[in-house]
Amino acid sequence: MIEITRSTSHVSPTIKVVGLGGAGGNVLDRLVLDGFDAACAVAMNTDVQTLNGSVAGEKVHLGPTTSRGLGSGGDPEVGYAAAEESTDEIVAAISGAQMVFICAGLGGGTGSGAAPLVAHLARKAGAMVIVFVTLPFSFEGKRRNTQAMEALAQIEGQADLVVCFENDRMGESSSPSSGIQQAFVTTDAILSQSIRSIAGLVGQRGWVAVGLDDLAVVLRRQQARALFGYGESEGANRAHEALERALRCPLMDKGRMLAEAQAVLVHVTGGPDLTLNEVSVMMEEFNRHISDGTRINFGVTTDARHGRRLGVSILSSTGDAVVVPQSRPALQKQVVVEKKEAPPAKEQALVFEADQEPEPFEELEEPQPVKAPAKITSQTAPAKAAPAKKEEKAEQMSLEPVNRGRFDKGEPTIVDGEDLDVPTFLRKNLKVK
Amino acid sequence: MAKANIVVGLEIGTSKVCVVVGELKRDGTVQILGVGEAPSVGVRKGEIVDIDNCGKCVREAIADAEDKSDVMIKNVYLGITGAHIRSFNNRGSFTLPDDREKIESADVGRVQEEARTAPIPAHNMFIHTVLQHFYVDGQDGVLNPVGMFGRKLEADFHIVHGVANRIKNSIQCLCDLDIEIEDIVFTPYAAAQAVLDQGQKNIGALMLDIGGGTTGYAMYVKGAIVQSGCVGIGGDHLTNDLSLGLRIPMGKAEMLKIKEGSCVLGNSLPGENVTLRDEHGFAGKEIEREMLNQIIHMRIRETFEFLMRELEKGPYLDYLGAGVVITGGTSALRGIKHLAEDVFQMPVQLCRAQNVSGVASAFENPQYSTAVGLVKYAQATIGDEGGGWLDWFKRWF
Ligand SMILES: Nc1ncnc2c1ncn2[C@@H]1O[C@H](COP(=O)(O)OP(=O)(O)OP(=O)(O)O)[C@@H](O)[C@H]1O
Ligand SMILES: Nc1nc2c(ncn2[C@@H]2O[C@H](COP(=O)(O)OP(=O)(O)O)[C@@H](O)[C@H]2O)c(=O)[nH]1
Ligand SMILES: [Mg+2]
Ligand SMILES: [Mg+2]
Repeated sequence: MIEITRSTSHVSPTIKVVGLGGAGGNVLDRLVLDGFDAACAVAMNTDVQTLNGSVAGEKVHLGPTTSRGLGSGGDPEVGYAAAEESTDEIVAAISGAQMVFICAGLGGGTGSGAAPLVAHLARKAGAMVIVFVTLPFSFEGKRRNTQAMEALAQIEGQADLVVCFENDRMGESSSPSSGIQQAFVTTDAILSQSIRSIAGLVGQRGWVAVGLDDLAVVLRRQQARALFGYGESEGANRAHEALERALRCPLMDKGRMLAEAQAVLVHVTGGPDLTLNEVSVMMEEFNRHISDGTRINFGVTTDARHGRRLGVSILSSTGDAVVVPQSRPALQKQVVVEKKEAPPAKEQALVFEADQEPEPFEELEEPQPVKAPAKITSQTAPAKAAPAKKEEKAEQMSLEPVNRGRFDKGEPTIVDGEDLDVPTFLRKNLKVK
Repeated sequence: MAKANIVVGLEIGTSKVCVVVGELKRDGTVQILGVGEAPSVGVRKGEIVDIDNCGKCVREAIADAEDKSDVMIKNVYLGITGAHIRSFNNRGSFTLPDDREKIESADVGRVQEEARTAPIPAHNMFIHTVLQHFYVDGQDGVLNPVGMFGRKLEADFHIVHGVANRIKNSIQCLCDLDIEIEDIVFTPYAAAQAVLDQGQKNIGALMLDIGGGTTGYAMYVKGAIVQSGCVGIGGDHLTNDLSLGLRIPMGKAEMLKIKEGSCVLGNSLPGENVTLRDEHGFAGKEIEREMLNQIIHMRIRETFEFLMRELEKGPYLDYLGAGVVITGGTSALRGIKHLAEDVFQMPVQLCRAQNVSGVASAFENPQYSTAVGLVKYAQATIGDEGGGWLDWFKRWF
């Protein structure tokens, strides 16, 4: 058994994630609250009120003149016109990014109208563009569904990849009685997790990095339906349990679709104690769920913040393969080259990639504290208050940004200078194990 | 059927929108005809932040209430709340002109106007000016000064005010739905009408409405409201604390709070655990029961202690003969009565809406107290003839 030293899960600064409209903004907030670097998150909306509540590091108010800050009224033409009016701001916000992820809920006005244009601008700026969209619930009505399908077709013409989630299918994961809000919370979490996995796969230095073209092979399908599953566990048998849970996610279609998939991405995250043995046992088990010809692209990221938790994401899509024609080979090489040129690894380990032979291990970086978004940092009082006994302990604390959870957006309840939205037990230094 | 005696209370709460349809009976009682409800969207800490989506929930709750009560809803009494709402007491006075020695009903309005000249922040508006007590030529204990002889009429008022634009959001939301607003009412004031009876108000009582995003309070001494307010802390903070502390999703934290949570410490066995079963993507988890309760205890204790400090700023804490009455969804939390008794050092009761008949769920569920209270507020304020000082006088309840 080989112990692996942890590498950092620091997000490559060349990725920008854009949340468009209400749904996109909520997904983006989820993403940041889940630990994604807020500096790489850009919220764009026609609705100022919603935009103000976002925790994203950067915000673009779309079409201040067109929509007067009041939203798009569900009209994609307004969404488009608003984005057009703000072209310069959009270009500035995404400039310098090698990859731009755009997320939006299709069916409304802002996301549906602006996404094709934002994708277009990002590509024009030289970025690889991956768009994550949701299709409305069927009960949202015909108009929204039509608008969504029209927008989807336009986006497909602009983006390198479109990962499309159907709300109807994600809704199954929350009980029907729990209401639409709960359903959206679930879809936000699923999208956030899938964006993190893909960012983790392509944009981070882990044990194994998946190239962008691998990603395209997996995801670029005609009439694609995304398959996505995530599971985690910290028990003794965590690798097995996490995989089981991931396979049980509703978007995995109980593993049925997986058997038909031609290519699958698997991303494993874990803490410092993640072992290669665990991972290889899990991959063997995973192999039993796919057919022999399926190509597996596999990546691992370790991060002290995960502690004992091991997480597995599985991402794939069904539908017919599309030949990837034009997608900017130069850029893809550039990313790969950057990785290859990294200084020699300080520690040795093995590479594990299902469809390739082992190759020299990637660079492992020292763990570095993950910066919480500014808004959160200012509230991390307990971090300093807790006297650290050991170095390691201190590091652990600083790695874990204290946040205000659901109260992160919106007005704080400040009393006598104390932010009462931060859990009482944290402010009073109760140690929760 | 005359519909004039049917009134509707609407609370747009942080966790649910609640509509209570009540009939005001001739004998002065209230009969609840139906309760409509929908989960809230776009409400944070008691205030609307997304008018469109919130409007949808309101529409849904109203449709539900219409269904259940068989009443078409066009007008409502709207509850409003938020931490921006403040209160204070002020005395107004009016000296009769030299050629008159008998107090007229218009004088009561004049006194009230004078009380309202107290400065409030520029962007604020008055929500209530509730009559507390009259004085005629310095004499108190006057119940109805009209017709009395005197030179100077004075009255104490409890004045509630808040940021105008924030209040307008709620009003706008209903305008968009074509619903007319009969009156806006600060929700703790409304809830107090549902859960406190006149006897309790007379001997002194503190009402706490602990909801999802807010905790409202209203204190009565000698039959009149003397202190009221709202803090942006509620049951959702418990859920959030548990979610962050135990690293579980919000949905699980909410369930855990309701099914297992308690604010009483030291009641669990050493090492006693609560098991959360695993489900899609969620790893099952063992949670130490004492830890769960500790997190809840700390939050509720802190909230009570904060309220206590707030109330100590006024002179009334020693006059609460009837103690504390707690209502709202979070009053269902295990052990909350104990903890409140510990902090407030007086008897505590958990209470739902009182003295109404009809649909039982309306008074069995503490989450509905505010909306029922809005109906009772209407009952107490609708003057037989309407208009005039009587309206103000009736607010003395
Ligand atoms: N059995 C229970 N134990 C603990 N908490 C409960 C229980 N039942 C409901 N709650 C909590 O009560 C809260 C909702 O209460 P309520 O309906 O009075 O609030 P609201 O009127 O929507 O909100 P607000 O008045 O703050 O705007 C939620 O936080 C919910 O978790
Ligand atoms: N995941 C998620 N989807 C949402 C949410 N709100 C709305 N949606 C979906 O997204 C679609 C577009 O809504 P929205 O993003 O609010 O409209 P826009 O702001 O005009 O783009 C809706 O039809 C819903 O299917 C949300 O909070 N989360
Ligand atoms: Mg959208
Ligand atoms: Mg309430």
